[in-house]
Amino acid sequence: MSSSDEHAHSARHPHLAEHFETIQQQDYAARLGMWLFLGTEVLLFAGLFLGYTVYRHFYHATWHACSQALSLSLGATNTVILISSSLTVALAYWAVKVGKRNLALGLLAFTILCAIAFLCIKYVEYSHKFHVGELPGKWFRAEELMQYPAANMYFTIYFLATGLHAFHVIVGMSVLLWVAKGIWKGRYTPDYFVPVELGALYWHLVDLVWIFLFPLLYLI
Amino acid sequence: MAQATTTESAHAKDAHHHGTKSYWVVWVILLACTGLTVFTGQHDLSHVFPSANITIALIIATIKASLVVWYFMHMREAAGTNRIVFVTSFVFLLVMIFGVFGDLWTRSPMTLPYHTPTTEGPEIEVPEGGAHHAPAHHSPSPEHHE
Repeated sequence: MSSSDEHAHSARHPHLAEHFETIQQQDYAARLGMWLFLGTEVLLFAGLFLGYTVYRHFYHATWHACSQALSLSLGATNTVILISSSLTVALAYWAVKVGKRNLALGLLAFTILCAIAFLCIKYVEYSHKFHVGELPGKWFRAEELMQYPAANMYFTIYFLATGLHAFHVIVGMSVLLWVAKGIWKGRYTPDYFVPVELGALYWHLVDLVWIFLFPLLYLI
Repeated sequence: MAQATTTESAHAKDAHHHGTKSYWVVWVILLACTGLTVFTGQHDLSHVFPSANITIALIIATIKASLVVWYFMHMREAAGTNRIVFVTSFVFLLVMIFGVFGDLWTRSPMTLPYHTPTTEGPEIEVPEGGAHHAPAHHSPSPEHHE
């Protein structure tokens, strides 16, 4: 990156793929593709939210009792962690855009640490549920919730929704790691930052899903 | 579309002046909203109106999500097509949920799963005895004759 300080307007942009005419066109296509993908992600989670809606309607008291069995403090902590990591990834994107490479790397490192912290807390929650038997389907054996019909369905939906979300956390974390590597190697600069932008968008989606999962699972 | 593209490039130029203040402000609002939803979630608000808890929780979640999409995800600077694409997916999410919910709310008792204990929302009136033998199309009105 230090070799040339030419403001490449006449020359072809170094990151412009052959099948695009201008870098603007390439960026436009990349952003549109990412938003389309995020749209399908919303619809992927939509099925789980729908299942939640149907069973909550039928087993309202069960849903209330089971949500009380979750740890509100752990859930709220995870919400704060994800919201803060969304802030730091937005700041990292800004830092890349204005050329603050080290700041961007630090912010991304913090974001990835947040993701790890989120998963650790999730592990604590899951292991407690395995211990007391608050599990989906035929594995359900939590004595105090036995009196509520379809309590196992609550935990089926709990594990599917939070499990799919945790998988997204892992993927998002890996994407951010890959983005950080690119910044480290000087590939993403104020002249070319769309991959950072798209990686950040994915991480925000992870936050977005949790913003709905948290009240629906923990606060009902 | 031309207008959207100019907005985008215009923004890229003033990114330096933009600063990070809006991110921090949004973050503080998001934390405050989280605190608020935890607070309201711990109190039974059903005396205000039925399903007050979930309604309030979902309103707060929607506000939080909108802030994340608008500021953190830069939807406010996104091209028109990108906005349409993303918002459309939410529209279809709502179509699916409310379509199914419309069915659930208007079901006759016989079509409910075995020993459904409580149903929320508009109470489904179960006629004295014989409810489980009533035809599927029976009317839920109180004047329903035997």
